Amino acid sequence: MLGYIFRRTCLGVAVLILAVSSLYVLVQLAPGDPASAMLGPRATPAIKAEFAERLGLDRPMPVQIVKYLGAVAHGDLGTDLRSRLPVREVLLAHLPHTVQLVAAAMLLAAGLGIPLGCLAAVKRNGVFDRLIGVLSVSVIAVPSVIIAIYGMLLFSARLGWLPAIGAGEGGVWSALHHLIMPAVAVGIGWVGYLARLVRASMIEVLSANYIRNARSFGLTEPRIIRTYALRVAVAPTITVLGVGVGYMLGSAVFAEIVFARPGIGKLMYDAVILRNYPVTLGAVLASSALLIAATTAADILNAIIDPRFKEGQEQ
Amino acid sequence: MAETLLEVCELAVRFGPVQAVKWASFSLQSGQTLGIVGESGSGKSTLLWALTRLLPDAATLNSGEVWFDGEDLLRLQPARMRALRGTRISYVSQDPMTSLAPGLTIGRQMTDLLYREPWSKREKWQRAIDALDWVSLPDPAARMNMYPHELSGGQRQRVSIAMALMLGPDLVLADEPTTALDPTLEVEILELLQRLQRETGCAIIFVTHHLGVVASLCDEVLVMKSGEIREAGPVQNVFTEPQDDYTKALLRCDPAQIETPTRRLPTMSEALERPVQIVQGPLERIGPEDAPVLRVEDLSVTFTRSGLLPPVLGGWREEIPAVRNVSFDIRSGETLALIGESGSGKTTVARSIMGLVRPDSGRINLNGSELTGADAAGWSRAREQVAMMFQDPAGSLSPRATIAEQVVEPLIVHGRRGEATRARAIELLTQAGLGEAYADRFPHELSGGQARRAGVARALALSPSLVVADEPTAGLDVSVQGEVVNLLNALQEQMGLSILLITHNMSVVRHAADRMIVMLKGELVETGPTARLFAGAGHGYTRSLIAASYHALPDQQQTPNQERKLHAVE
Repeated sequence: MLGYIFRRTCLGVAVLILAVSSLYVLVQLAPGDPASAMLGPRATPAIKAEFAERLGLDRPMPVQIVKYLGAVAHGDLGTDLRSRLPVREVLLAHLPHTVQLVAAAMLLAAGLGIPLGCLAAVKRNGVFDRLIGVLSVSVIAVPSVIIAIYGMLLFSARLGWLPAIGAGEGGVWSALHHLIMPAVAVGIGWVGYLARLVRASMIEVLSANYIRNARSFGLTEPRIIRTYALRVAVAPTITVLGVGVGYMLGSAVFAEIVFARPGIGKLMYDAVILRNYPVTLGAVLASSALLIAATTAADILNAIIDPRFKEGQEQ
Repeated sequence: MAETLLEVCELAVRFGPVQAVKWASFSLQSGQTLGIVGESGSGKSTLLWALTRLLPDAATLNSGEVWFDGEDLLRLQPARMRALRGTRISYVSQDPMTSLAPGLTIGRQMTDLLYREPWSKREKWQRAIDALDWVSLPDPAARMNMYPHELSGGQRQRVSIAMALMLGPDLVLADEPTTALDPTLEVEILELLQRLQRETGCAIIFVTHHLGVVASLCDEVLVMKSGEIREAGPVQNVFTEPQDDYTKALLRCDPAQIETPTRRLPTMSEALERPVQIVQGPLERIGPEDAPVLRVEDLSVTFTRSGLLPPVLGGWREEIPAVRNVSFDIRSGETLALIGESGSGKTTVARSIMGLVRPDSGRINLNGSELTGADAAGWSRAREQVAMMFQDPAGSLSPRATIAEQVVEPLIVHGRRGEATRARAIELLTQAGLGEAYADRFPHELSGGQARRAGVARALALSPSLVVADEPTAGLDVSVQGEVVNLLNALQEQMGLSILLITHNMSVVRHAADRMIVMLKGELVETGPTARLFAGAGHGYTRSLIAASYHALPDQQQTPNQERKLHAVE
């Protein structure tokens, strides 16, 4: 198992290097250049050239990439072109808000979606199943931005129960209070999605031979569902959730803009607008790393739950 | 006198519109063994699982009573029913590959079963090890920490049996416990069950379509057909003086019971009074002067498995020799049986002939043209001459196309679209014994035997010179088995086909094959004319396979009370 974890991690790092390199190229290919954006329309070509040289933008692309990767390996992500602070510090200041948001959305999705799907499968074709089915499809269908805006109108503007903007100032309770609405906006669609997914795989697993066998040995129904059925049925869900972190990071950009949460998504958005290259790259690096870490963790978790998974994947 | 353990009255089960079990009544004495035989779909498994209400949701119990120890199992409270399961009534199910939960260790599953016992965790673990030792599983303590996929099929079935018997139940319900196993393993498992029954004194209900198993293992037998019990009684009586026509036909169709090899096996549709027709046995049918259709020389195949990363980065690489230096030939008009246990490399040989696996070395020569090193066009020409009949006939037909469309599909693949007409499809289906009526059906509308016939029709589409038949009789009951063998034999005589018959059904081999080759762990261990090898095989493995295929019927045993013996396997 340790060997497997090591190999997955190596693979994750390789994917990360590839992702950052291609993003580096993409950022450079995007229209507009940082010199014009930073120095304004009246900058002379000489000043721009000097600026480009200072950032190393005049060197050939592969050299720039290797230099950047080398610097990243040493923890140096460059300097924010606007605030003149190291990008690393800027990222570290913003990262927790996004991680909290995505983690809360995932918790919501898994914590509600898996039990609901499980319940729907066990009480198949009953009232619960139908109700969960309708609700699932409804929450999948509504875009998270709509939920964010209407949630804000209802719970902040009208009822005044939840704060509309910001990430709270100090204190766990304040942070949690500010987290509720963005997390629901990002995660609620996933609740429905996971419920459908778990229901389908649970139904398949419950008809398996070994479930009937477990029943024939007189095991109790809760034990059969928890340890014999759900354990196997949840595997595709873990894989989907791992990839889902990527989508959630995408929705987090919207949620952070709408709720003015100082997270990576908002940081990235502002940096792109301002052609703030080091921050853009750093933010992309951070969110890619989050995504790769999540998919790797999903694979490792799957291998722990079902040892056949590991072999199937390496063959 | 033993007392009645189980009494089933008027049990009826319905699957949607189909009445799967029709008012079955029987009783079982404690310590006795009851066999339930019948063809697939006769309702025998449904009957077995209905006894403790473990049927799938689609099934409904219409009526009936199942009396076990003074209680009606069909009307017990769920909690009371659960209390009986595993402790007093337990099951051994058919497929060892799917009967254990995949994500839990053997030890976890075995100790879970002991959740009702007052023992400590350590003691439960020890008892589970003892149970595994009891079923002769080698190195039981280490197996406890393994996952089911790390065990072989036979080992898993031993684990299943240990789980079923470890709490000393009075009644064990075994649903085809050996059908998915090789013949030599089948004998081992049956011997194990016999020994455990002697030691615990439990009663067993044994569902099977293997008549020999019933004859050598059971005291009583029920014969089922389309949900009805057609005949019931002591094995002795039923097998020697069957009363029901269906039982008579079933016994008549068992190829193991026909002494002289015949190329026309009896089938259900034939009149019962007709004596079994012995058609010119395969002996000496093919002379050594006949030209070989296929010649395989020194074939070796190695599979390489490797991880995603190269070995320097912690990846791994493993070479598995699947086939080593195998040479044989098939002559024109001959049936060659390729025999060996699962994993012995017989399917790999077939796949190499079809060009689906690239051999490391060796030569394959088909009708005079060399296939090793052939280009895509060469392989395409070769595949026109070799047709494959797949093991799972229903699974190898597309569920979304009609039979007629699929039968002529090989013609389209080989650029002969002009010949792929409906008329040609009907002609092929007629050759395979399916009339025009089947042309527009979909695979799910066919029975197992009919799906095999559709597979035969498709194999004939390109008028091949060689047909590779991969387990053509697996999972079929004896009568349908006979039909498929007869069909292949008849087509061979009409069209001069050569057939490579991959199977481990030795009864079929005896009647259908001219010569046989035996593989063990990737190597050829024995080859020769079928009649000669059946008279006295040189290799111990071949001998044990042949011995396993004969299950003496009761009338052929000297004394009925003598302990019934299965053929031991070295």
